[in-house]
Amino acid sequence: MSGLPRQAIVRILLSVLLILSLYLLSAATENSSRFGRLYLWLLLINGVVLVVLSGLIINNLQRLVRSLRARETGSRLTLRLMALFVVLAVLPGLVVYGFSMQFLQRGVDSWFDVRVENALEDALALSQASLDQRMRDMQQRLEEAARDLADVSQEMAPITLGDLRARTGASELTLIGENGRIIAASSMDTDSILPNRPEESILLQLRQGRPYVGLDPIENAGLHIRALVRAPGPDGPGNTRILQGLFQVSPRINDLADEVETAFSEYRELAYLRGPLKDSFILTLSLVLLVSLLFAVWSAFYLARRLVAPVSRLAEGTRAMAAGEYGTQLPPAGNDELGFLVRSFNDMSRRVADVRDAARQSQTLVESQRAYLETVLGRLSSGVLALGPDGTLRTYNQAAVDILSVPLHEGTGQPLSALVQRFPDFSPFVEQIDAHQHEAEGEWRAELSLDTREGRRSLICSGALLPGEGEGGGEVIVFDDVTTLIQAQRDAAWGEVARRLAHEIRNPLTPIQLSAERLQHKVGNRLSGDEAALLQRATETIIHQVEAMKEMVQAFSEYARPPVLQLQRVDFNALVQEVVELYRGQAAQASIRTDLDDQLPWLEADPGRLRQLLNNLIRNALEADAGGACEIVVSTRRRSGRHAGGVELDIEDNGPGFADAMLDQLFEPYVSTKPRGSGLGLAIVKKIVEEHNGSISARNVEGGARLSVRLPTGENGQ
Amino acid sequence: MASTMPVWTSASPRAALLVALLCLAAVGISPPAAGFSVASLEQRFANGLLVVDGRIDYSLTATATEALESGVDLVISQRLSLDRPRWWWRDVEVVGQERRYRLAYHAMSRRYVLNRLASGESRSYRSLDALLTRLGTIEAWPVIGRDRLDDQQTYRLRFETELDVDALPRLLRTVAWASADWQLRSEPQTLEVRP
Repeated sequence: MSGLPRQAIVRILLSVLLILSLYLLSAATENSSRFGRLYLWLLLINGVVLVVLSGLIINNLQRLVRSLRARETGSRLTLRLMALFVVLAVLPGLVVYGFSMQFLQRGVDSWFDVRVENALEDALALSQASLDQRMRDMQQRLEEAARDLADVSQEMAPITLGDLRARTGASELTLIGENGRIIAASSMDTDSILPNRPEESILLQLRQGRPYVGLDPIENAGLHIRALVRAPGPDGPGNTRILQGLFQVSPRINDLADEVETAFSEYRELAYLRGPLKDSFILTLSLVLLVSLLFAVWSAFYLARRLVAPVSRLAEGTRAMAAGEYGTQLPPAGNDELGFLVRSFNDMSRRVADVRDAARQSQTLVESQRAYLETVLGRLSSGVLALGPDGTLRTYNQAAVDILSVPLHEGTGQPLSALVQRFPDFSPFVEQIDAHQHEAEGEWRAELSLDTREGRRSLICSGALLPGEGEGGGEVIVFDDVTTLIQAQRDAAWGEVARRLAHEIRNPLTPIQLSAERLQHKVGNRLSGDEAALLQRATETIIHQVEAMKEMVQAFSEYARPPVLQLQRVDFNALVQEVVELYRGQAAQASIRTDLDDQLPWLEADPGRLRQLLNNLIRNALEADAGGACEIVVSTRRRSGRHAGGVELDIEDNGPGFADAMLDQLFEPYVSTKPRGSGLGLAIVKKIVEEHNGSISARNVEGGARLSVRLPTGENGQ
Repeated sequence: MASTMPVWTSASPRAALLVALLCLAAVGISPPAAGFSVASLEQRFANGLLVVDGRIDYSLTATATEALESGVDLVISQRLSLDRPRWWWRDVEVVGQERRYRLAYHAMSRRYVLNRLASGESRSYRSLDALLTRLGTIEAWPVIGRDRLDDQQTYRLRFETELDVDALPRLLRTVAWASADWQLRSEPQTLEVRP
């Protein structure tokens, strides 16, 4: 803060101006000769200030009421402070005002004393009474003079008047005609040409027959007694003239009367001015007080608001903080305790915001780590499951879904056993986990076979407890699909066996056969009868058996021989139809039903090998001991989901199904449960499938067995 | 006022308030219609002089009469001026004359004294009315010699009379300035003069 705010400076300036104007006002009241008309202007200006202040106060009050109604922060505190300030300012002001008024009234009144007033009035009355006697004397003298004038004509009047003036001692005698015209005049004062005329009302009184006598203050000449009497003329009483006489009062009496008059007049004037004096003092005092009080009230608004502002800002800041707006900063509020409070609030708010930012940052970090981990898990070929401490599924990766062939997302947040109810194939896996969980050991490893929708799979599972207590704990299970690995190992072993067997067995077979034929040829002619027949039979048996062995070895060698595929575009449905037709006529006791997908894509394959595959599969199905009418369903469909674009061929029979122990080795040579057959059928099927980069699986279904062959399409499936 | 008020209120209520206040104050100190009034004013040429006759009705307010009878002297001025109007600029004042009279009450003689201040000439009257009638009678007030006037020109004679508040005692003056009872003056009366 750089000193006082501008508003405060303005107010201080205003108050100085106001005090100046009030001072001038009181000075004008005291001494109006110096300030003269300024008083009126000051009065007006102060009146205007009064009204403006009232307007400002009303405006402020309205604002306060409005903010009270709107329940704005700090409005109630402002009201209380306001009320306090106003009471503090107004009450003492009013008390002082009351006392001042009383002192003023009493003080001014005390200058005037009833006794003094009465004394002055008595003095005046005394003076008048003393002059009254003299006035009557003068009137008498004038009446006598008037009688002397009765016989005097108008022409003689000036001379007679001069004599009469000297006799009566008047300073001026004037004879006035009936019509008010001056007939003659005689004056002691030779300077003045014109006689002092009486006023019309006095003449009127004389004409009505009443004489007049009275005092007349004549400027520069002192107090005079003016007396007027009727003066009948020589023409008779009808033509009445008027004689006026002005008599000087003796100088001594004149001075005294003048002093009494002056004192009385001044006292009367002062007494009269007492009212205006009080009025102007009261007016000034009231105005000063009112302006000061209103200024104080107006300033009280300002002060209250200024005091409350930091508090209400604090309240609003706290409210904002409560609403989650951390980091709210309030403007500084001086160096007092409120300022300290505001600074503390700002510090606190800043720190809270910092902590929130840090928390947000670490959350982002955790989330990015989590995303990183999920990406890593997603790219893993091993399946990963994370279970909560209560055995519920928390996290898994895509590989886990692929390997288990179970939609794990449906079981998130539930125990794995919940999924088992809908996917029974899944149960061995769950049992394995449960078993280890109940043992509560740290880490475990296990192998298990799982009969999935995609075929039987061999899995290697390992589990470990996750660190942390409560929410953080749980178990992680990692498992790998080792089916193809095991299969490949077995295939390799069998390939080697077949190659060797073919090599080692085929070589001696031809000499054996040739030897048997030669024996027949050479010896048979020499023998007769039964011996010849025996030989015949024996050699034939040898030759046949050798032939059979040759075929067997041939088959073996074919099994072991690397594929030479002649790939071309194949309509798989047509091929299936063609092969099935062959069997329809042949196997009367079997019914073969086909369920072929119209939308099947073309395959890039060797049709000869595929035909062999189909033959082997159908034969295998026909050979299943159904115990009654053999029913075979051959279906093709376009694959969807992960393997979209491929072709799946299912062959289902209604036989007894595969023995459980055999399922793992079903596609190995010489594994057969059937009374007939070479034991190579399914091995060859598997080999053909693998030559076409496909996969085969077998599983038992309700009321039989199902073999599923999945073949990929060529370039783009069409 | 009424037509301008809405404009003011829309512009600034405080400004309107101020204006209303000033108007009120102006009304408060403006002189009352009654008081002094010029009943007649006539001009004539006599003996080569422009002279003015007139009659003015002086009527003091009760406040002023009470002050007078309480010993407060009152001063009444009569101002006569002859202007040569100019359409393009302010009028030229050819002659400006003022007569000032002091009115006083003489308690000892119970008479009202009229004193012309410039000459010291003084007369006393038994009643205030008589005094005011005398004061209100103007007989042959010489203004200017005819030879000093331009025959081609039209002049404007202007007469006004008022109670001089500034001549009141200082205590009364402050009150008098704010009181309508003391604002006694006549409407200015004008006459056209063609020499």
